[in-house]
Amino acid sequence: MLVEVKELRREYVMGETVVKALRGVSLNVEKGEFLAIMGPSGSGKSTLMHLLGCLDRPSGGTYSLDGTPVEKLDDVELSRLRNRKVGFVFQAFNLIMQLTVVENVEVPLIYMGIERAQRRELCLEMLKAVGLGHRPNHRPNELSGGENQRVAIARALVTKPQIIFADEPTGNLDTKTGHEIMEILQGLNAKGTTVVLVTHEMNKAKWARRLIHMQDGKILRQLVGKEIQQLKDLFQEMPEA
Amino acid sequence: MQFSENLRIGIKSILVHKLRSFLTTLGVIFGVAAVISMLSIGEGAKREAVEQIKLLGTNNIRVNQLKLTGEQAEEAEQKNSRGLTYRDGQLIRENLPSVKGVTPVRFVETEIMLGNKESNGRVVGTDETYQWVTNFHPSEGRFIGALDVAEAKRVCVIGSEIRSELFGYRNPVGRRIRIGDTWFVVIGVMEAKTVKEGKASVIKLRNINKDVYIPITTALKRYTDEDRPNAVEEIAIQVEKEDQVVPTSEVVKRLLNRTHNGVNDYEIIIPAELLAQSQKTQRVFNIVMGSIAAISLLVGGIGIMNIMLASVTERTKEIGTRRALGATERDILGQFLNETIMISVTGGTIGIILGVVMAKAINLFAGWETVISLFSVVISFGISALVGIVFGIYPARQAAKMDPIAALRFE
Ligand SMILES: Nc1ncnc2c1ncn2[C@@H]1O[C@H](COP(=O)(O)OP(=O)(O)OP(=O)(O)O)[C@@H](O)[C@H]1O
Ligand SMILES: [Mg+2]
Repeated sequence: MLVEVKELRREYVMGETVVKALRGVSLNVEKGEFLAIMGPSGSGKSTLMHLLGCLDRPSGGTYSLDGTPVEKLDDVELSRLRNRKVGFVFQAFNLIMQLTVVENVEVPLIYMGIERAQRRELCLEMLKAVGLGHRPNHRPNELSGGENQRVAIARALVTKPQIIFADEPTGNLDTKTGHEIMEILQGLNAKGTTVVLVTHEMNKAKWARRLIHMQDGKILRQLVGKEIQQLKDLFQEMPEA
Repeated sequence: MQFSENLRIGIKSILVHKLRSFLTTLGVIFGVAAVISMLSIGEGAKREAVEQIKLLGTNNIRVNQLKLTGEQAEEAEQKNSRGLTYRDGQLIRENLPSVKGVTPVRFVETEIMLGNKESNGRVVGTDETYQWVTNFHPSEGRFIGALDVAEAKRVCVIGSEIRSELFGYRNPVGRRIRIGDTWFVVIGVMEAKTVKEGKASVIKLRNINKDVYIPITTALKRYTDEDRPNAVEEIAIQVEKEDQVVPTSEVVKRLLNRTHNGVNDYEIIIPAELLAQSQKTQRVFNIVMGSIAAISLLVGGIGIMNIMLASVTERTKEIGTRRALGATERDILGQFLNETIMISVTGGTIGIILGVVMAKAINLFAGWETVISLFSVVISFGISALVGIVFGIYPARQAAKMDPIAALRFE
């Protein structure tokens, strides 16, 4: 099992008030899965993604990633795990503006300690794979949103991670570009990379083989295969953000 | 993460805000420039002092006549001290058999003439030991000999500039010049010696190429000072070895104290003290420049810190992203600390260049000798790096301690 989560809780303490973002989530993800997470705004999707991606530490519960118990790791170990096993794709792309496209893709390899020449080669290859091989030296602000997201995906993939966490990757994109991004994720999954996708759009969730419906920091229900494809009506009950 | 990566990242983000980075470094630039020019002046003064010491000779002690005024002069009169005299020199020679040479020097205020041509040189009465004590020798003819002194002969040795002034390219040896009312035969010409007339000097250096040397006895006899017969301006004492300088000078002091009845109408200069004295005169200047340097470095450092704090906030999202991609707290700390150090070191480098220019300008306009030493460059570079570390550590920690999640949510 790649991801094993038991009774995961996350509370944010803000002065007097305590925000319970996750109230006990248990979840397993197998290698090679394509998992979608849906739920209303504030239901804790991003919080869960950050915990699963080893960016954050839970307030309670246990989590093991690829056999490693994560709660006990220190900053260096956690960073290392994030660097090698996990890839993030964000809604806002999160590219570094002062760096060129290829330099952005290089960032995780720098923290991995890969030599410059080798790094460059790997990144150009990865850019080619996402269809941007011809524009490595452009700046992010010279590229379209869809192209930016491809760069971000190349950056997430260049370390050959076992699992990709994509938090609303198509949220800032039009339908057509969004579709292209989904095709890339799908292709990745077909080659064996585990994909966890957070989305608000039903038609995007339908690319997944399993769907998790979250509400108020809990998993409301899980759906698999055909159930997802039939879901159209069901989601009308779900308040959209 | 490797240092070279940090360097590359640093250059990139500094270049994004070129003007801002430059303005930020101004404090460090001026601070370092002040340090460099201050050290260059100190070094210049030191070199000047060393040159003087060389000129003086490390094995020499110099006793100078002091001009007394007011009360001191009255006291000297009461105590019946007649200032430094030829007799003092002889006493030293008799009482201190260990000294190698005792050379009296007497300046004579009079004109030097060849026909209608007058030279503005200086007449110096001395004896045969002078050339050894000062390590200054004739290039033509000979120097004053013991016999010339014993018999108070009317012979002279002229400096190289006097020679060209009066004789041009003709051979002066054997010819006569008039000094005051008396005719002298030129017996030699001194070698030309380059003399830098230092501004920061402790002892005044005269241009010895314009000296005319005559036997001390002749000087005392023919150009008598009614008030101070036998007076000399200087007595140079040469000892065998350097380590005898201090003990000998003490004995000389005691001896002169007795003959002068306790009146301090002379000063004893030993070469090693020259350096200390020149450094003493430098102190005020150093304090002023040091304060300017310290204040600008402090202000500069705070400026850099301020900008870096703004930069950390501005780049919150970048920090979150880097953390998500595998950067450790240390990586982030290193990145920002490195960036601060780069800014301040760049400022330091510009400051070093500015300081060198300032040192040259000081040399040109104030006439002070300035020397840029490798040490001062290294120390300035070190200081600017230190400013970067001291004022960069706080912003860098802020960046490193940032919660990655909060950083990613930041808009
Ligand atoms: N740093 C934080 N401090 C305080 N509360 C937080 C913090 N981060 C998240 N929360 C709260 O935790 C809850 C879950 O937030 P989260 O971002 O996980 O929701 P989400 O499901 O991703 O929402 P969206 O669909 O809008 O992205 C929210 O109520 C949010 O306000
Ligand atoms: Mg979210």
